[in-house]
Amino acid sequence: MRRLARLFAFLVLIAVPLLSQDIASLEKRITVRKLPNGLTLLVMERPEAPVFSAYTLVDAGSVQDPMDETGLAHMFEHMAFKGTKAIGTTNWPAEKVALQKVEQTYAAYIREAERRVGRDDKKVAELEKTWQDATKEAEKYVVRNAYPQIIEDNGGVGMNAQTSDDQTVYYYSFPSNRFQLWAYLESDRFVEPVMREFYKERDVVFEERRMSTESSPFGRLYEQFIATAFLAHPYHRPTIGWASDLHRFSATDAERFFRTYYVPSNMVVAAVGDIKSEQALPILEKYFGRLTKAPQPIEDPTIEPPQRAERRVVLTEATQPIYVEGYHRPDYRDPDDAIYDAISDILSNGRTSRLFRSLVRDKKIAADSAGFSGWPGVKYPHLFAFYAVPTPGHTNDEVRDAIRAEIERLKTSDVSDDELAMFKTRARADLIRSLGNNSGLAAQLATFQARFGDWRELFRQLDRYDKVNKADVRRVAAKTFVPENRTVGIIESTKMAGATPAEKSEEK
Amino acid sequence: MMTRAILRGTSVLIFILAIAIFASALWAQTAAHKPAGAQTTQSPTGVKSQKPGAGEPPAAWKQIPIPPLPPFHPQEPKRIQLSNGMVIFLQEDHELPVVGGFMRIRGGSISEPASKVGLIDVYGEVWRTGGTTNRSGDQLDDFLEARAAKVETGGGTLSTTISFNCLKDKLDEVFPVFLELLRQPAFREEKIELAKTQLDTGIARRNDDIGEIAGRESSRLAYGRDNPYARIPEYSTVAAISRDDLLKWHQTFVRPNNIIAGIHGDFDPAAMELRLRQAFESWERAPVPAKPTVPFLEPKPGISFIEKSDVTQSEIRMVKLGIERNNPDYFAVEVMNEVLGGGFSSRLFKTIRTEKGLAYSVGGGIGAAFDHPALARFSMGTKSPSTVEAIQALRSELEGMLTRPATAQEVREAKDAILNRFIFNFDSKDKVLGERMLYEFFGYPADFLERYRAGIEKVTPADVNAVARKYIHPEQFAVLVVGNAAELGKPLSSLGPVTPIDITIPAPGASPSASADRPTQTDPKARALVEKFVDAVGGATKLAGVKALHQVVSATQQTPQGPMNLTNDTTIQFPDKLRAAVTSEQLPGQMLIVVTPSTAFMSMPGAGTRDMPSSLKQSRLNSLKRDWLPLAQHAADPAYVFTLGGTQRVGDADAQVVNIFGGGVSVKWALDPQSGRLLRASYDDVGQRGPVQRAIDYSDWRPVEGLTVPFKRSGTENGEPSTSEEIQKYEINPPIDDKLFEKPPDAPPPAK
Repeated sequence: MRRLARLFAFLVLIAVPLLSQDIASLEKRITVRKLPNGLTLLVMERPEAPVFSAYTLVDAGSVQDPMDETGLAHMFEHMAFKGTKAIGTTNWPAEKVALQKVEQTYAAYIREAERRVGRDDKKVAELEKTWQDATKEAEKYVVRNAYPQIIEDNGGVGMNAQTSDDQTVYYYSFPSNRFQLWAYLESDRFVEPVMREFYKERDVVFEERRMSTESSPFGRLYEQFIATAFLAHPYHRPTIGWASDLHRFSATDAERFFRTYYVPSNMVVAAVGDIKSEQALPILEKYFGRLTKAPQPIEDPTIEPPQRAERRVVLTEATQPIYVEGYHRPDYRDPDDAIYDAISDILSNGRTSRLFRSLVRDKKIAADSAGFSGWPGVKYPHLFAFYAVPTPGHTNDEVRDAIRAEIERLKTSDVSDDELAMFKTRARADLIRSLGNNSGLAAQLATFQARFGDWRELFRQLDRYDKVNKADVRRVAAKTFVPENRTVGIIESTKMAGATPAEKSEEK
Repeated sequence: MMTRAILRGTSVLIFILAIAIFASALWAQTAAHKPAGAQTTQSPTGVKSQKPGAGEPPAAWKQIPIPPLPPFHPQEPKRIQLSNGMVIFLQEDHELPVVGGFMRIRGGSISEPASKVGLIDVYGEVWRTGGTTNRSGDQLDDFLEARAAKVETGGGTLSTTISFNCLKDKLDEVFPVFLELLRQPAFREEKIELAKTQLDTGIARRNDDIGEIAGRESSRLAYGRDNPYARIPEYSTVAAISRDDLLKWHQTFVRPNNIIAGIHGDFDPAAMELRLRQAFESWERAPVPAKPTVPFLEPKPGISFIEKSDVTQSEIRMVKLGIERNNPDYFAVEVMNEVLGGGFSSRLFKTIRTEKGLAYSVGGGIGAAFDHPALARFSMGTKSPSTVEAIQALRSELEGMLTRPATAQEVREAKDAILNRFIFNFDSKDKVLGERMLYEFFGYPADFLERYRAGIEKVTPADVNAVARKYIHPEQFAVLVVGNAAELGKPLSSLGPVTPIDITIPAPGASPSASADRPTQTDPKARALVEKFVDAVGGATKLAGVKALHQVVSATQQTPQGPMNLTNDTTIQFPDKLRAAVTSEQLPGQMLIVVTPSTAFMSMPGAGTRDMPSSLKQSRLNSLKRDWLPLAQHAADPAYVFTLGGTQRVGDADAQVVNIFGGGVSVKWALDPQSGRLLRASYDDVGQRGPVQRAIDYSDWRPVEGLTVPFKRSGTENGEPSTSEEIQKYEINPPIDDKLFEKPPDAPPPAK
């Protein structure tokens, strides 16, 4: 043991200089500026080619959706491509009046349609028509997709946005001579977004729900699994939203969400590439300074109570089996976070990982298997989840047993020196490899700046990894992977997907 | 374009991780083939599309200055050609302490034999996992992971690849591994088996996701099912792949004159060149087979449909053949694609997504590949009831390219988009290297990207509309719909005749390519044995008189929940009608299963009535044909082929094996040569979890109305006992009411 301890001390010693060297060299190229309105800006100079990548992180996601308006955070994300008062309209004053009419008529229609007692169906139909007429009137002023078109015409690539449970992000890359144009466009959509064509876009989002959740066996399992694993915390709701909410919420609701959560103090904007911070910062201050200062939204989602018993969700589907199980773990700021990362790496990273070697290589019962954190997010206590994809002829029960055997091994015997060393070596190398492109850097720096208040945590994380030891792994595994903390999700093949007992006897 | 997923399972991981995130995806861009390439020296234009409308004050954003892009001269890699023909590019890049190398070797899946589709997938995987003659793949894993280094191999359509990547201080340890794997791979058997299991998993799961089905089957519609660019592995083609095939492939194709290599990263170029020359200069060149000539025919227009009953959305694809990049129309086609299906600004996105709200994902274009016609493909997904409306909208937009030609403004904006993003083709040194290698591989000029820019700049609206008239013919596209027939609303047939596509996964030994290996000649000795059996059970005339059967069977079935006792009351009308009523203490009530060519459903109290998927229906119909009685009825049928298959020990008897092929099925019979008795029937089937080998042992033969039939049957699945059955009642040619095969009256009405 003494020798081992010395070995670790040595590893840490050689690790620290590398770490500070990395940070020191990057500090010369990275500038962070907090504007008076509370918005955080981050600029990194990387003059490899005359291009840059930008990444806007809004620290609000579907967890912040109001109770009966699930899917609203994601819906607003779609609306952020609809233009502003200056972009996307032929006549803003007239369009504004027309959009107000749309909201009034929609509210009247929904109010009547949802009347439980005394609903007048004829009146509902009339109100619906009035709303749709108002919608058509408002569409007259729309210059369709004008906002994304400006980005595309100017050479924007990789334009997209993502909403998750934890956050909403917007990103694309531009030639560097469009830096000022980007600063204007990106700030403008968060200064004065316009909820035009809201209800058509709601149809588009519903198609997204059909594609990603309803028409996908795994999508259906994931929605049910998460809803089962979380009882109280908003993580139990789908980011895409429940169907009835998607049919109901309004542009007024989306605008209210925007006013509450898209406040400057809740946002980090990062730009990485061929830009000089002394030239970039005045431009950024000018445009992003336009965002109105507003109070930081109150952050008090219900805390998930401790789980008392195993939960199961079994979907019978006309597809091949899939096995998932998840265990509650603390959020990303927990002191044990690095240990969960070590467990995930040792179980899942590459051909030497335990789950690959056991389930895929040796037992040949799974085509793929892994264990990892982050379902459905990391900001709040979440799940450490395992999954396996059984190979033909093998069952969910077999892969479950094999996963459980690996879990027991983690709890009852130490991981090897080699395994721990591999985890630490790989983390360092992967971090180095990730520093070579603008868009990846912008995303990582913005994320660590938002999550920890300092981008340097991206590197200090390695320091925490270096401190992980064998006893930690056993302790965290023993604490986390217990039956009453577990939710199991299964797709079983329906009898329709294969032979039923009766049909089999028929084959004889 | 060049890669094929090796481990289908890993795509599941990506999928699973991606599911937590919902993106407002610019999915529409998939078909707009952007060129990418090494670049010489030029500064992209600062094209601006900002012209304020007459009389309007310019909008704020239009007043933002856009300075010219600074001159940018991307670093060209150094090209070296060794005396043995190997071409090497060196691209120095000292930003990060990392070195990577990559070799592209001519020859890919289009060169694999049709009977061994999947060979390149297995090769690409086992080249790495099978290790070298000195070290097993597992030893390589340990060695490399401890150094956070990678050495990987892969197989694609036109080439195979081998690569390494490591921190620069590990290069001296990792490069020798790379060399060893390149020159002395071992292709160990156990890893071949593992790779085949992975491929089989992909096959078993390939019909689970409608997007995957639509992508795969639309390629097959456009290119033809058996075209090397579209064909897919089957259980039988994977089973046919041997270690010798992999070794032979390696010996044939991995030759210095067939390799293009690129090294990128933090190295000293002189030292690296020396290292590479020492490693490769003495390697002898050898002749390598040329790329096969693949014929391309335009697809048959019309609508095809694939049933998927568990979805709320239809996936729609319109396909025909696209073009090659050396086509003089290429640049105008690129601009047209941008106008029609490129991004948020395209016509398809604006109309079908933004204006009509019909789709989340919509887009497409006339694709262009380096050396063969790519696909012209337009794609969208829409809710089941709006399928017909969506197809009409898509067609209408294609027609619109002819009736409402691209305007000067549309063309200007499309060109702006392409030219302004042009810089992203060469904004990193590894991109420059990768694209330069690609041009070398396909024999395109090294300055292809510069030619591309010049070509795009010259495109006029007249050019765009000329290529629209040349390539966009909505009536020539093949249309594929994958969706839920019961919920389509307006029927697809309102658009024209609909051809159903059967995507049933062929059982091992039943695939079209395997049937090519199927014997066509009956062995008289084999037929004589079968005829002996026919005589033993009552003779050909008696057998031919059996048109229907009614039997009551008590059975014990092994299930994942344990053994299950049941009674099965079955009526069969040969050749293709079946009704089974199953009762068991473990079932809530009588389970009814009916299969005929026109209907197939099952019902149970509490669960209602559900139609069977077409794949299951086909499998049930096949199982009817595999029964001993109908096979025996065909003993003299010239369309049925009988061959001898050696001997097999069944119980105490040395049985003679007869292979029977006919009626679309194949079965092995083990017959007692003395008595002529049938002892065992075995066949490959696709069960609940993929391919299975089933066998049935027959015993307790008893006379019934002039026939002799087995009253006991015991079945195994992959050698494990699965059923045992005893006949309680056996009735030949019972009176049959056609209503037996109809849906019960309380069943929901059939699809509108």
